[in-house]
Amino acid sequence: MLIECKNLICGYDKNPLDNPVIKDISFSVREGESVAILGANGCGKTTLIRAICGMLPYAGNVHVDGREVRTMKRKDIAGKLSVLMQFSNVYFSYTVEETVMLGRYLYSKNIFGLPGIKDREIVNRCLNQYGLDHERDRQISQLSGGQLQRVFLARTMAQDTDIIVLDEPTNHLDIKYQSEFLTYLSDWKNEDKKHTLIGVFHDINIAIEAADKLILLKDGEILADGSKAEIISSEFLRKTFDIDVKEYMKKQYSHWI
Amino acid sequence: MKKELKIIISIIISIIVLILSVGVGSVYIPATDIVSVILNKLFNVSLPQSIEDSYISILWDIRMPRAFTAFFVGAALSVSGVVIQSILQNPLASSYTLGVSSGASLGAAIVITSGITSMVLGFFLLPLAGFAAGLLTVFLVIAVSEKLDQNMGNHTIILFGMVFSLFVNAILTIISAMNSEHMQRLILWQMGSFSGRRWIHVLILSICAVLGTLVIIFFVRELDIMTFGDEGAMSIGVETKKTKIILLVLATFLTGAAVCFSGIIGFVDLTIPHITRRLFGSKHKYVIPMSFVLGGAFMSFADMISRTIMAPREIPVGAITALVGAPFFAYVYFRGKRA
Repeated sequence: MLIECKNLICGYDKNPLDNPVIKDISFSVREGESVAILGANGCGKTTLIRAICGMLPYAGNVHVDGREVRTMKRKDIAGKLSVLMQFSNVYFSYTVEETVMLGRYLYSKNIFGLPGIKDREIVNRCLNQYGLDHERDRQISQLSGGQLQRVFLARTMAQDTDIIVLDEPTNHLDIKYQSEFLTYLSDWKNEDKKHTLIGVFHDINIAIEAADKLILLKDGEILADGSKAEIISSEFLRKTFDIDVKEYMKKQYSHWI
Repeated sequence: MKKELKIIISIIISIIVLILSVGVGSVYIPATDIVSVILNKLFNVSLPQSIEDSYISILWDIRMPRAFTAFFVGAALSVSGVVIQSILQNPLASSYTLGVSSGASLGAAIVITSGITSMVLGFFLLPLAGFAAGLLTVFLVIAVSEKLDQNMGNHTIILFGMVFSLFVNAILTIISAMNSEHMQRLILWQMGSFSGRRWIHVLILSICAVLGTLVIIFFVRELDIMTFGDEGAMSIGVETKKTKIILLVLATFLTGAAVCFSGIIGFVDLTIPHITRRLFGSKHKYVIPMSFVLGGAFMSFADMISRTIMAPREIPVGAITALVGAPFFAYVYFRGKRA
């Protein structure tokens, strides 16, 4: 197993057992899988992602590539998995290229972190791949939300890990950027059979498109997990969102069919 | 304009400003004489006949220590301002956000009102008390923030820093009110001034400012990454909490050193970082050293204005930093936005 959570309990108090947000959950992700964790607002999705990335203290176990996350250094974790968060504000502006180069931090050896040949190669490849070649000298403060998230995707990719962790990365993106984003992800996924995706989503359609396997989360507990087909046809989706999801989707999309 | 060219021009302008601030005063001393005196003092090069003895004394004993004190205070405050703004991800934060100034004022107030003297420390007692109390305040803020919020989130630090500052200020007000005979000295200390500074001040201050800045330069990449937020920085591989504590301590050390030799001079620590970012981009590799240079030059310039504009009367330099700095800041900051 590449990622394994066993009896994971975590929250925001110093002792994870006080007021836990994630209440004793276990699941695993195999190498090459893409898994979406789906749930309503406030069900603990982002908390779960933070625990997997070692950003919160937790009880139980989180193993990434066989190692317990809480015992790992930040650079070791960053070498295993890169994280793409929700769109965030930019307070101080860097150029597109400078921003993408930050993804190479953990590989830099000299104290001033001057980029090496390999760093430049990878950053150039990422800029090229995500259509940022001509934007490399632009200030990120001048970019639209969609363009900025593309820059952050390139930075995540520049980190060059086999696992990518997503925390609702398509929030605030319009459908053009959403669709483009999903294509980029599936391209990356197909590049190498080691490439593994784990992400949290509240948008069911995006989760279905991004992943092969779904985990339903409600009030910090797992309601169900399984393949896309199994989960969509099950009653659990209704329980997760407290609404007849299928009916809602039919109504939403009736204008198009 | 190319970045390298901008850097060279900024350094040249800063040197000119520094020479000007030594030359201009109630007695005008030409730049050539300044250079001659410096060469004479440093390398024993013989002086031209035309230079009066009083010039040498004015230059070497009064103006130069004063101008250099101003330079290093400005440099230290600006670098510390950059660090605080970047790690707290807050363009409105400054060196004083965490309560250094209130703590230092309280320390100074205690020394002034209690009449404590020390044979060993002599006239260094007051600055040292200010320095120690300023540092202690920030350490308390960091320690409590860490207890309240294990990840030391920026909002926790800023909020607690502000609350604690207000608390310390309240104590200061009570002390001032109860010791009205010392009020004037207290207020003068808080306003900040460079008058009467000696080479010994310059020596101590320059060591603190240069050393502090050099250590910070080792963290330029972490500073870049941390402007994107703690979680982003963690996911890229930065030990956020540890780095944040180290950098807060370094920034406090710089501010503390500046405050203890000059009192509390605002504005420079807030604006010079923004001006530097506007000129050289946000990369700390450039912003840290160039804030040092520009902050120093700006403070020497402000001090020159403060002692000449209404000579022989001296205006508090803090008022000048704001009066000159505000319009200049507005010009530099908004110029790019209009386009």
